[in-house]
Amino acid sequence: MRLVVAVTLALALAVSSFPIQAAEPSHIQFENRQKRSGVWFVLDNGTLPDKPMIDGIPGGVALLDYDDDGYLDIFFTNGARLPELVKDGPNFYNRLYHNNHDGTFTDVTDPAGVRGEGYSIGAAAADYDNDGRTDIYVTGFNRNILYHNNGDGTFTDVTAKAGVAGLSPTGQKLWGVSAAWVDYDNDGKLDLFVSNYLDWSFATSRVCGAPGKRLSCSPTFYKGEPNILYHNNGDGTFTDVSEVMGISAHIGKGMGVAIADYNGDGWMDVFVANDNDRNFLFKNRAGHGFDEVGVEAFVAYTENGVPVSSMGVDFRDWMNDGWPSLFVTALGGETFPLFRSEGNGFFSADTYAAGIGFRSFKMSGWGAGIQDFDNDGYKDLFSANSHVSENADVDPQQHYRQANAVFRNLRQGTFRDVTDEAGAGIEIRAAHRGCAFGDLNNDGKIDVVVSAIGSPAELLYNTSPDNNHWILIQTVGVESNRDGIGTRIKLTGASGFVQYNHVTTAGSYASSSDPRVHFGLGTDTTIKEIELKWPSGTVQVLRNVKADQILKIIEEPKP
Amino acid sequence: MREVVVSVLFALASAWPAFPEPCSGAQPQLARISADLTLGNVSAAEARLQPIAASHPDCPEVLLARARIEEAKGNVEAAANLYVQYTDLKPQDSRGFAYFGRLFLDQHDYARADALSAAAMEKNADDPAALGLRGQLLAMKGQRQEGQRLLEKACGLDPNDPEAQYQLGVIFDRDKNPTMAVEHFRRATALTPNDARGWDYLALNLEPLGELDAAEQAYRKGLSVNQHGSLFDGFLDYNYGRFLAKRNQLVAAKQHLDRATEMAPQVRAVWYERAKLNLRLKNYQQARADAEKAASTLDSAHVILDLQIYALLGQVYARLGDTERARKYAELTRQTPPPVRGEQR
Repeated sequence: MRLVVAVTLALALAVSSFPIQAAEPSHIQFENRQKRSGVWFVLDNGTLPDKPMIDGIPGGVALLDYDDDGYLDIFFTNGARLPELVKDGPNFYNRLYHNNHDGTFTDVTDPAGVRGEGYSIGAAAADYDNDGRTDIYVTGFNRNILYHNNGDGTFTDVTAKAGVAGLSPTGQKLWGVSAAWVDYDNDGKLDLFVSNYLDWSFATSRVCGAPGKRLSCSPTFYKGEPNILYHNNGDGTFTDVSEVMGISAHIGKGMGVAIADYNGDGWMDVFVANDNDRNFLFKNRAGHGFDEVGVEAFVAYTENGVPVSSMGVDFRDWMNDGWPSLFVTALGGETFPLFRSEGNGFFSADTYAAGIGFRSFKMSGWGAGIQDFDNDGYKDLFSANSHVSENADVDPQQHYRQANAVFRNLRQGTFRDVTDEAGAGIEIRAAHRGCAFGDLNNDGKIDVVVSAIGSPAELLYNTSPDNNHWILIQTVGVESNRDGIGTRIKLTGASGFVQYNHVTTAGSYASSSDPRVHFGLGTDTTIKEIELKWPSGTVQVLRNVKADQILKIIEEPKP
Repeated sequence: MREVVVSVLFALASAWPAFPEPCSGAQPQLARISADLTLGNVSAAEARLQPIAASHPDCPEVLLARARIEEAKGNVEAAANLYVQYTDLKPQDSRGFAYFGRLFLDQHDYARADALSAAAMEKNADDPAALGLRGQLLAMKGQRQEGQRLLEKACGLDPNDPEAQYQLGVIFDRDKNPTMAVEHFRRATALTPNDARGWDYLALNLEPLGELDAAEQAYRKGLSVNQHGSLFDGFLDYNYGRFLAKRNQLVAAKQHLDRATEMAPQVRAVWYERAKLNLRLKNYQQARADAEKAASTLDSAHVILDLQIYALLGQVYARLGDTERARKYAELTRQTPPPVRGEQR
């Protein structure tokens, strides 16, 4: 009898501490509100009949609050005329849209001074000079640009002064794709990691496929390029520390970049998705250098031991075990690699085990996100899809224009493709590229902005039912960098359910997302505890916090 | 024997006196016998042939049917002799050359199969049997487009030829066109339900289409008919084991991969795949043994690359805590360039 009672009690406790599940299952829904938003941005890749490989690569998006009004604005990168590589018309300008707080946006590109130059690819937004205003770094084929936010709605190109032009030590412009703001040495100033692709030019460009149906040539024809790490000197200038920090010795074909502290040592690590080459995991040696441990951590290759066309990546904890894991997008016929951290320095290639193998086999993905779209406390997956080649459809198994995809987290480490149930907005077939994640209307649900070659960008508002609760945490560093990038957050709901996330704008493909950290809370209306581990080393704890709010947390001084 | 057969065949492949309608009245039954044989219904064909052979002893078609029956029974020499006799009697009938050519192909005598298939096509370029054989041979010789064209014509003229359907499916499989491959493997297996090879290919091509339950059924049907003979598939357990592993049915996957290693121990891929499965099952010592076996097995077809083996061994030794070997294989992995895929994508 005692045994029965004990077992019953144990079961009851187990059930009550397994939290937060909403009474009804959540249903992820998206609605594309582009047409009524006033955002008419169309990504122009300047394509030519021979389909040079550059035309498949552009399309970064940044979500940032450049005017500090509490609402996310949108920045799009754009291509240029080919082969001249110049933005000689409005169709090639990068674009900045101001959020009017009512679902509409205003194009402020010209007053802001951010049209850009050259063939732009990616964007990364953060406050690099700790002045409280978000700045923008733009990567590109022939021009990288650092825009300093002047605080009056305008930006100034400070690239030359800052020394972040994306050049090799010999002065050659490298093909920048993605960038990540990261304080790798925890000195309170954001440093800049830039992924570079490969050594291509029109002079060396090959032509592939049949006339009239040209295809993107394989990157295996070209040599890869080193990535760059710029150290922030704190005076508006940066120093290229790629060599001394052990970055540039590793030559890849860099695409997406994401950051996380994968081993829990308090130092942010960097993952680089390489196209048809082994992926890199740069393990941070306490700010003194990096060891490239992709092979040793088992994230360099797929579970079949070969590289794929890695494009986008996100690096977050979808298991709620405190260990950030990786979601990588790739081309059709390859599957999207899913590397689950085991918490011991090793990752397990879980693509099929997690249930996304067969579905993603048919997809080609660029933008990638690990985000909780239904606020149930479990992070889901999103991919922005399209084949790289405009004429990919010559192969009946491939499609250039594809629908995006969303995979719902079923808990226990598995996912289900719920794209078909997620509304018409997500089913638009287009040449999607980069995408950024954030809460555009501050309703506590993560929206997605997706760029697409040759068609209007999509503003996918998350219209999932409001069954669940949430919180958005905006960190303000004091000793740490002002954005708090790198802060690791552990959240314990009233039910005892624990989740983890960290502050970053990096991830996806060539894109930059909402710096505010989002947590879905399920049925929990209060949060028992929020623990923040700031890059400075400060550990800050808040207790009994109400759900359903945007909470600004200012870093406490060290005791 | 083959040399004699062929020399006799070609020496006598000249004009022969006109045949005075020795098959008169037997044509409908002979057509049914031919259809039975095409579908592999040997005993039914044999039963139908007996009375025809008695009533039409001089009918050359009887010889052809007997040749095909002997071939189906595995009596190669008897079949060859009968084919020689038939082609002597009917030197302008493309079918005799085509069936004879297929016999040589099944014996891996590709040169003679090639010569006979060409001869068959010369005599009748609209004969489905000739088209099917020639198309298959051209595809094997790397002339895939022309092979596909001939096989498509063969299937159009005789949609009930399972071998032509199967071979056309193989071409689409190699072209990574699972939609079309499935169509033809479905027809082939419907016509010949005991074709384990067809079920295997059907399942493999259903996988990328996401038709997983249908793939599962196809694998199971294939396994239920996988018996030794010309339709036997030595890699069915391997492919099904991989499929089950992808569906997280690890214990069942192990059973099939165990059988695969018994059936094809000379193949690197089976050891590699079982090593990966053992890794997932946390059977690290077994994973090590399988991975080492894979490493020591030659793979001239480069199905499993050295890079894959090194990456696997690095992981296995890391899991076993053997840091020295793990480091060695990690280094080898880094030094091995990634495979060069097609020039375009």
